[in-house]
Amino acid sequence: MKSVSALTDFYYKNLFPTLEKLEIQRRNLRYRIVLIGLFYTLIFILIFTAIGISQSDFFVIILFAYFGLGGFLYKFLTKDYTDEFKNKIIEPLVKAIDEKLQYASAMHVSQRTFERSELFTATVDRFSGNDHVHGLIEGTKIEFSDLHAEQKHKNSKGKDNWSTLFKGLFIVADFNKNFMGKTIILPDSAQKTFGDLIGGWLQSKNMGRDELVKMDDIAFEREFVVYSTDQIEARYILSHALMQRLLTFKNKSKHPVYISFIGESIHMAIYYNKDLFEPSIFHSLLEYKVAMEYVSTLHLAIGIVDELKLNQKLWSKR
Amino acid sequence: MPTSLIVLIVMAVVLIFMYNSLVSKKNQVENIFAGVDTVLKKRYDLIPNLVATVSKYMQHEKSLLEKVTQLRSEANKPNISDAQKIKLDAQVTSALGSIMIAVENYPDLKANENVMHLQHSLTEIEEQISAARRAYNQAVTDYNNAIEMIPTNFMANAMNYSRKAVFEIVESQRENVNVKELFK
Repeated sequence: MKSVSALTDFYYKNLFPTLEKLEIQRRNLRYRIVLIGLFYTLIFILIFTAIGISQSDFFVIILFAYFGLGGFLYKFLTKDYTDEFKNKIIEPLVKAIDEKLQYASAMHVSQRTFERSELFTATVDRFSGNDHVHGLIEGTKIEFSDLHAEQKHKNSKGKDNWSTLFKGLFIVADFNKNFMGKTIILPDSAQKTFGDLIGGWLQSKNMGRDELVKMDDIAFEREFVVYSTDQIEARYILSHALMQRLLTFKNKSKHPVYISFIGESIHMAIYYNKDLFEPSIFHSLLEYKVAMEYVSTLHLAIGIVDELKLNQKLWSKR
Repeated sequence: MPTSLIVLIVMAVVLIFMYNSLVSKKNQVENIFAGVDTVLKKRYDLIPNLVATVSKYMQHEKSLLEKVTQLRSEANKPNISDAQKIKLDAQVTSALGSIMIAVENYPDLKANENVMHLQHSLTEIEEQISAARRAYNQAVTDYNNAIEMIPTNFMANAMNYSRKAVFEIVESQRENVNVKELFK
């Protein structure tokens, strides 16, 4: 697989003519967005002053309408630019990593797969996503996409409220060992907050989860908490080598990582709390930081096959 | 309610809690040992086939093969203790390791399909055994901690619980296994 620096080279060399064209589009778009935004805000302020501040309920409704309509308008304005960016920048980047990978900007990992992973146990009421990549890397099936899973709540006034269960990158790949049960690895928040004794006790009392598995790798145990249906199988999956690799992966991603081993697959959810692979509008596409975000996120996702050695299949799985 | 009664009830609850936690720790050790036993048996079942296949070639290592066969029959005896099983496992692991190293000296044997098959099976079972050992060691550590730490140690003493032995994990097993090397 190509290295991050090789991909950065590809971004700046091969994609440069396209980036230059997109950069002009971006500047025009930014100008338009600022102009329309100002005009739009002005109209709302006028409506608002016409009605008066006294009616606070009305104020909330107008504020909601302002943000709702504004978001819609923003999406409408940026649609063409976004589509072009995805087809001309993200897709070639994916193909540069591996030609056999397929990219579809409007598709995402299915809700069934997300729920099967059991990483987030609450009911999903709204599910969306984009930027789906799938294919085979060195014989290992992999797919990933941006996902946003939300849950509906009723507030005290009976109005619907949405809260985010997960927002970020969701990766599914074939695992290289056979297993029957379920093993789930979550970021360790209890032990970090309450210390080993109370935190450990709290973890063991987590009702929604299977048995707590204490791992024999101190650094891994500090970052993660493991639940499994089978104490032995959890350790069969999480060899010392894999624990090290998962730790390296977590440190590289710099975001909370949730991992589960269910069915034949490894599921990984990386909580970025934002929509990835979207074109930058207020920063230049040629900025190193912007470029690195696209390149390193793609490299991180596609790189798990190599990083976790998922291609080194056990002989009975070949 | 008199204070003394409340104190008595609280003490009873604490005692029950301690008692149950000790029993559950002991049962966890036993449960996991059953799992260890299953994978160990799987490996013992491979031994006759392995010995039959390699004995034709390995004239110099006869004693090694005999030893491994003898260890297997010892392990298959009924009524052997967990501690003995742990000891036998360590001996079998080292004997099988020596056989596998010796195989390298016989090019015909190395290329033999049956031997290759056995080698692969053995590697997979070794991984399962290693996982089972780690699970067992964790359960035993929890159990040993409970019977030695205050206040559960008083209860454990009264219940006649004693320390259990763990599997010694050989340092080489902690190293990253290069699967590619193994399957060459």
